[in-house]
Amino acid sequence: MSPRSHRSGPKPPSLVVNLVVLAALLGFLALTVGTAYINMGPANVVANVGIAVAKAILVLTFYMRLKSDSPLFRIVAVSGFAWLAVLIALSLADLLTRPA
Amino acid sequence: MSTTPTAVQFDDAVQQREAATLGMWTFISTEILFFGVLFAAYTLCRTRFPEAFAEGSRHTDVLLGTAETAVLLISSCLVAVAVREVQLGGQRIATWLIAATAALGVCFLTMHGFEYVSEYHEGLVPAIRYTQSGPSAGQMEIFFCLYYFITGFHGLHVTIGVIVLLVMARRTHRGDFDQDYHTPLEMSALYWHLVDIVWIFVFPLIYLIGRSG
Repeated sequence: MSPRSHRSGPKPPSLVVNLVVLAALLGFLALTVGTAYINMGPANVVANVGIAVAKAILVLTFYMRLKSDSPLFRIVAVSGFAWLAVLIALSLADLLTRPA
Repeated sequence: MSTTPTAVQFDDAVQQREAATLGMWTFISTEILFFGVLFAAYTLCRTRFPEAFAEGSRHTDVLLGTAETAVLLISSCLVAVAVREVQLGGQRIATWLIAATAALGVCFLTMHGFEYVSEYHEGLVPAIRYTQSGPSAGQMEIFFCLYYFITGFHGLHVTIGVIVLLVMARRTHRGDFDQDYHTPLEMSALYWHLVDIVWIFVFPLIYLIGRSG
């Protein structure tokens, strides 16, 4: 038997943490549906996407255990989103600066 | 104690688990970019045709969409608790939690199936049955093309996830996983959370735009 088993790996988050995160996710869901019906102009997009980002961060941090696991995984996870941001930003830079 | 041996290329079980997890995160990053391309196309087209996208969004079923989101969020929590239970030695309850997660996945697919059927009857399926008319009908077709590509690929991922989870439920039931070895279950759970995260972004972008107008 190996002296280092998975027991020495990251400890799982407690049941309470899991349930609180779920409650927060469902609360954010209600919030995003609710704000979608209020006319806030361009702020509607910001609210919808902002709430989605908050929900994704909750899932990544607690359910996918980026908080407690090796920092290396955090870097890899961020790299995917970072390249996506570059893709969208440069594409928009093209579209939005074209003469009408 | 687990009888699963550590593969020869690894020093110990911890290193083996870290290698597997790193591989899974690399895969997840590529998945983010796979769906990211579709989201980038969505962003560009919506910037170009905001009115048509808002009108297209108003044709989607926000009630079913909200229920689907809730189902996926709850299923993510269940599978996270299932991994925790296995780590603490509760294989029996974990088996049921994983099976319940798969059941919620099927529930999601069923609800989405109903959406597809009613959209077909409404004539909102580009190239197959598209009966919309009016000044923005053509631009709205772009919205529905993206809608079917994004939700279709997401549905494919949910289907794969359900199959993987059923295999994991069986293996957990069989006693393959315990406190010392549960990497396949952990990786499957990561995949399921990815499916959840994709939907977290799909939901507001497809269902919730143009609701207040």
